[in-house]
Amino acid sequence: MTMTAASPARHHRARSDLSRAGRGLFLAAASLVFLSYVLMPVAWLVSSSFQSEREIVSKPPHWLPHEPTAQNFSAIFFAGEKAVTYETRRKGDPATGGFIPSTAGNLLPSMRNSLVVACSVAFLNLLIGVPAAYAMAKVRFRGRQASIYGILTTRVIPDIALVVPFFLFIRNLGLLDTIWSLIITYLAVTVPFSVFILVSYFESLPDELDKAARVDGCSRWQTLTKVFMPLALPSLVAVILFAFLASWNEFLLALMFTQTPKSQTLPIIVASFTSDFTISFSFINAAGVLAIVPPVLLALLFERYIVSGLTAGAVKG
Amino acid sequence: MASIRFKDVTKRYGDVVAVHDLNLEIKDREFVVLLGPSGCGKSTTLNMIAGLEEITDGELWFDQQIVNALPPHRRDVAMVFQSYALYPHKTVYENIAFGLRMRKLAGAELDRRVRDAAAKLEISQLLERRPSQLSGGQRQRVALGRAMVRQPSVFLMDEPLSNLDAALRISMRAEIKRLHTEMQTTFVYVTHDQAEALTLADRIVVMNDGLVQQIGTAHEIYERPVNMFVASFLGNPPINYLKGEMTRSGDELRFRRGQVDLAIPPALAARLNGFKGSQVCIGMRAEDVDERGTPAPGRAISGRVTSVLPIGSDQFLGLELEGEELFFRVGKDLRHATGETAALAVDVNRLHIFDPDSGRSLLW
Repeated sequence: MTMTAASPARHHRARSDLSRAGRGLFLAAASLVFLSYVLMPVAWLVSSSFQSEREIVSKPPHWLPHEPTAQNFSAIFFAGEKAVTYETRRKGDPATGGFIPSTAGNLLPSMRNSLVVACSVAFLNLLIGVPAAYAMAKVRFRGRQASIYGILTTRVIPDIALVVPFFLFIRNLGLLDTIWSLIITYLAVTVPFSVFILVSYFESLPDELDKAARVDGCSRWQTLTKVFMPLALPSLVAVILFAFLASWNEFLLALMFTQTPKSQTLPIIVASFTSDFTISFSFINAAGVLAIVPPVLLALLFERYIVSGLTAGAVKG
Repeated sequence: MASIRFKDVTKRYGDVVAVHDLNLEIKDREFVVLLGPSGCGKSTTLNMIAGLEEITDGELWFDQQIVNALPPHRRDVAMVFQSYALYPHKTVYENIAFGLRMRKLAGAELDRRVRDAAAKLEISQLLERRPSQLSGGQRQRVALGRAMVRQPSVFLMDEPLSNLDAALRISMRAEIKRLHTEMQTTFVYVTHDQAEALTLADRIVVMNDGLVQQIGTAHEIYERPVNMFVASFLGNPPINYLKGEMTRSGDELRFRRGQVDLAIPPALAARLNGFKGSQVCIGMRAEDVDERGTPAPGRAISGRVTSVLPIGSDQFLGLELEGEELFFRVGKDLRHATGETAALAVDVNRLHIFDPDSGRSLLW
């Protein structure tokens, strides 16, 4: 009796063990496929940036460089010391034999422009967005609903529709070809979404907390800085990341409003490398590697807040 | 320490009137309870005292000062909330200290006051914890500590015990009463729980639909309700109403409804002299009956027992009378089974008599 009772149970356990193992295997395989889909382009970007232009076009491609070279990076960081001209290249100068574009020296200044713009936009997003969102979430005033909807409506207008009005606006202010033109227009594009993220987070914090702080002796401003901002840290990080990345990657407006390396940002300069005398894809990829460094650093810095910040406000409670 | 005076205060949200023409004077060091069902305007009234809601019309005075435009942080009030509203990112110590820090208190004096308050509330061992690590009762104590440490001139409480379980609620009630005695300051307390109101208050303000129904001591409110709303809001089980006819024969006044025939005693009858109508609604408190012996004529009611609900110390008896179901509180020794007929003696001296149209008491 015990035998017959035990053996089906054992069978059952064995079967469930098997199915659990199979499920694990399937999940691992699926993750692997997904990871390669996401990471392979990045791996190729990094690998090819250390290859010469000759190696990069080899068939089959070399996933690990056979003759690693730092010439692309040295061309970027020591651009000033090399006079890259049509003549030097025609003479077959070995230093410039890698088809390095003549404007390689513009890359670092453009990176600085990008950093200044992205950091300013991120900071100003907080400065403008946090008080605005607090007011919309916690202060009862006439037109509160209208202002929330108004700000959300601006998000459904595609950027391309705004280019011409923005251009006229920037030109009349005399800000064409300055980084100010970018800071101003990026703010217009990013602030509404930042406010939206923050409003939903602030709304998820109980009203009584706001009341308690004010009765405890906080002015509205102190309530915001001493109680709401520390509690909303994940959403503040989400705003910083969003604003920084949006500005860092922005192409269209930067293409319209900047004309010289004085104000041009990284995406514009990198794109310009494809219209030089010759095109070096390994060099462009080296520029791409530098372009992903700041966002990656930022993500590492705020890693523990990112997940909670992006989902914050999605579910109230 | 402060007295509070509402003068013709109205609060509107758009078209909705939350509080209508409130006139109320709360004396210094008084314990006033605002009592009413949800949505009656009691919390709005409390928020107006705190400065958290603007006053649409009228004046609010603290002592000799109009405070309508004074923001909450400039009023010397402290408040305890139903949800406790502790700062989740601060420790218990910092939660209690926060109000003092905002008032620029620091150092040894701050530390002493925080630890004193914690000791009084028996939460000294919790000072380093965060609110999320506390039970509901402990959080409530922290919220009380945060308010009392400030030594405010007005202490406001918005249903502070509603989230606690029944046993804890009763012990915290006693604690709040003790706190009031010790702090010697003005308390305004909002609740929908009649037991809290009756045990805590020096005076109770009963509100409904934004209107003050009655202001008085617990005794006055319970014994002399001015209308049917107040009478039914207090009492457990609630007061029983029976509509019927009032007939006068000579000096004698009687209440009749089918089989029910009650003699109104002269003391009450004298108060009804001004009343010309004949239709009235009498109110019988659940406990104002005597189940022992055979009731004398003129004070007896009898009906079919619909339910017997023992609650330990007493039992609730449901009685069907003239098509209405009435509930009475009788001694635990009374043995009746559902379906039997029971006769009870009504304490006619404690009857309440209302005008059925306006709901107003004809006695008070």
